[in-house]
Amino acid sequence: MNAQQLTRPLIAAGLLMGTIACGGQAAAPPPAAATKAPAPPAAAAPAEFTFTGWAINEGASKEVVTGYMKAYGASKNAVIKEQPFPFGEELNQLVLQASGGSAQGAAQLDIAWLATMAATGKLKDLSAYAKDRGYTQAGLLSGQVKGVQYGLPWTTGSIGMAANKQLLDAAGVTSMPKTVAEFETALLKIKKSNPDVIPYAGMTAAAQLKDILFWIWTFGGTVIDNKGNVTLGDAGSVAALEWYKSLLDRGLMNKEMDRFTARQLFSQGKVAFYDDAIVMKGIVTKDSPVKNLGDLIVPVARPVLKEGDKPQALLWGHIVVVFEGKNADAAAQWAQFLTSDLATTTNYFEKLALPPTTDAALKADLVKKDSFTSDWSSKITATANANPFALYAASARMESILTERVNAYLVGSVPTAKAALDKAAADITPLLK
Amino acid sequence: MKTTSGPWMATRASERALGRIGLYAALALAMFFAFFPIYWMLVTSLRPNSEVFAFPPSLLPQTLTLEHYANFIKNPQLLVYLGNSVLVATTTALVSLIISVYAAYSFSKFRYTGRRALMFLVLSAQMFPQALLLISLYLMFSELKMLDTYAVLVLSFTTFTLPLCIWMLKGYFDHIPTDLIEAAKIDGAGQMQIIHRILVPIVRPALVATGIFAFMRGWNDFIYALTLVGKSKQTLPPGLVLTYIGEFQSQWADMMAASLLVSLPLVIAFILFQRQIVSGLTAGAVKG
Repeated sequence: MNAQQLTRPLIAAGLLMGTIACGGQAAAPPPAAATKAPAPPAAAAPAEFTFTGWAINEGASKEVVTGYMKAYGASKNAVIKEQPFPFGEELNQLVLQASGGSAQGAAQLDIAWLATMAATGKLKDLSAYAKDRGYTQAGLLSGQVKGVQYGLPWTTGSIGMAANKQLLDAAGVTSMPKTVAEFETALLKIKKSNPDVIPYAGMTAAAQLKDILFWIWTFGGTVIDNKGNVTLGDAGSVAALEWYKSLLDRGLMNKEMDRFTARQLFSQGKVAFYDDAIVMKGIVTKDSPVKNLGDLIVPVARPVLKEGDKPQALLWGHIVVVFEGKNADAAAQWAQFLTSDLATTTNYFEKLALPPTTDAALKADLVKKDSFTSDWSSKITATANANPFALYAASARMESILTERVNAYLVGSVPTAKAALDKAAADITPLLK
Repeated sequence: MKTTSGPWMATRASERALGRIGLYAALALAMFFAFFPIYWMLVTSLRPNSEVFAFPPSLLPQTLTLEHYANFIKNPQLLVYLGNSVLVATTTALVSLIISVYAAYSFSKFRYTGRRALMFLVLSAQMFPQALLLISLYLMFSELKMLDTYAVLVLSFTTFTLPLCIWMLKGYFDHIPTDLIEAAKIDGAGQMQIIHRILVPIVRPALVATGIFAFMRGWNDFIYALTLVGKSKQTLPPGLVLTYIGEFQSQWADMMAASLLVSLPLVIAFILFQRQIVSGLTAGAVKG
């Protein structure tokens, strides 16, 4: 791994998040006036800019975020125009807007999209806005490309494994599996105990097969090495993919499983283990027929190949970027407020369970006392790695090449895991430049 | 005679019965493919959320609810999307019809240099992937400062509806005897009078079919309506996705209820104009 990749794994994310669980004095909320944010423009006319994102139009976050926008606009003499896009469409839309010169204001991004957006050359360097706001080092790194701070971290978490403790108990699985071998044994016990339960709802639908990344890491693969070479097709990645398919072949996973389906089935008590982002608890407990499901969910450190290995997870989070252009400074101040104002970030956590990214917010009582978040942070986020493709402008294409080839092997159209991954490596390599 | 006709008749009757069974089986299969998705949409829209993803799924809802339909009606933003869809699709249909009537008449009844080349040039617009054209159209409209207007949607949709509209109407105009036009000319009618007073009434079924096609194009488009305009001018397809599908949500039951409701205008239009649509679509198909 190169230096940035070494830092981006963001082990520190979990360590800092882990402080939530470690107790200690909650930091006193810094008074708003004491912050060192650049002063808002002293113009009489309100600064008008756009805020783009899916959070301003999606479910529970809509009211919360638009509420912040209105309150901020009223207090700072700013007019923030909403520009919502569906999550799955936003990256394409923003790249198109940036290419056409119409992108402006601030925008919410998934951390995996940053390199692609930075490659448009239209993002503002937010280094000045990131200083002295108490952002965690992990959060700051998630907003950097080649050392430039293009994004301010809004939430930092991980995609990891969760289990339904009741199903495990019923199958006689008394402790969480720590190794891959123990995990397999647990899955077999669950299947034998209740054939209607899916032991592991691992992703098998083509669109979400990027989850193979953390199993490749578990089996010792690196995906992209420290010299910038694609290593798919090495012993670790091949072993991981062969093992993953063996779970499918033995009926321990289901075909065509995607995240939405896995959530719904987990919500109904039909899935023992599955992978999701830290916000999964709120999603699966909503409308669940299992009354006490919230008490049954356990974050699980991903089983390792041999004891002593590091449990693997995929870093996940949102950042806010700003486009160069008219009122970019006003938009940057809004991005800074949204991501680091103590009252706002703790309220955001309270309403949506999305972990904040400043030390002060992480030490707030409200966050520290949330045992699920603390548990997830210490067991999963603590050892999460960044998506290895996220450093590259063509990350979306790279990821889709990998998922296509993995899917081809899972459905049997490619005879061996080695052939599938070698082809993926050959197709991804030209995109690294 | 009796001894030979009896078995022959019986064989014939059984062949007919078998043929009929085969026909009904094929029809049943076709109907299943056509109507099961609609049935599934309907029952999903009538189930409470807790039942939507019940596993294993059941064909009939255990509990009936109208909450998803109420959610649609109570959401004022969805009504804005609906209004935008009606406005944009109707305008697209009208603009497409007006331009294509004149263009089709010209291609059908006049002979001039470059006519065939022009006809195929118009058709070639249908051959480009629409997603590819979106990029160049976006950049062009951005330069013209036309983004985020209803006009930009109507212009874009018309770009894609015109080729088929023109070719459909041309097929219909080809069937109108030139003698009729000549007779009108002898009676002193100008070209505009010929089009408006003689041809348009004759081709009304084709106009209905063509108009419905253009309306559907404007009604169903997702990617252009998402890209070229902001939330206040977006139409139903991006509006429904924005409202119901996201990073952490998938409100399928609400989405199904909304989809059924918003498909009603098209269904009603088809029912009202089905005779004209069928005759309009088939008229140009066979050369008389």
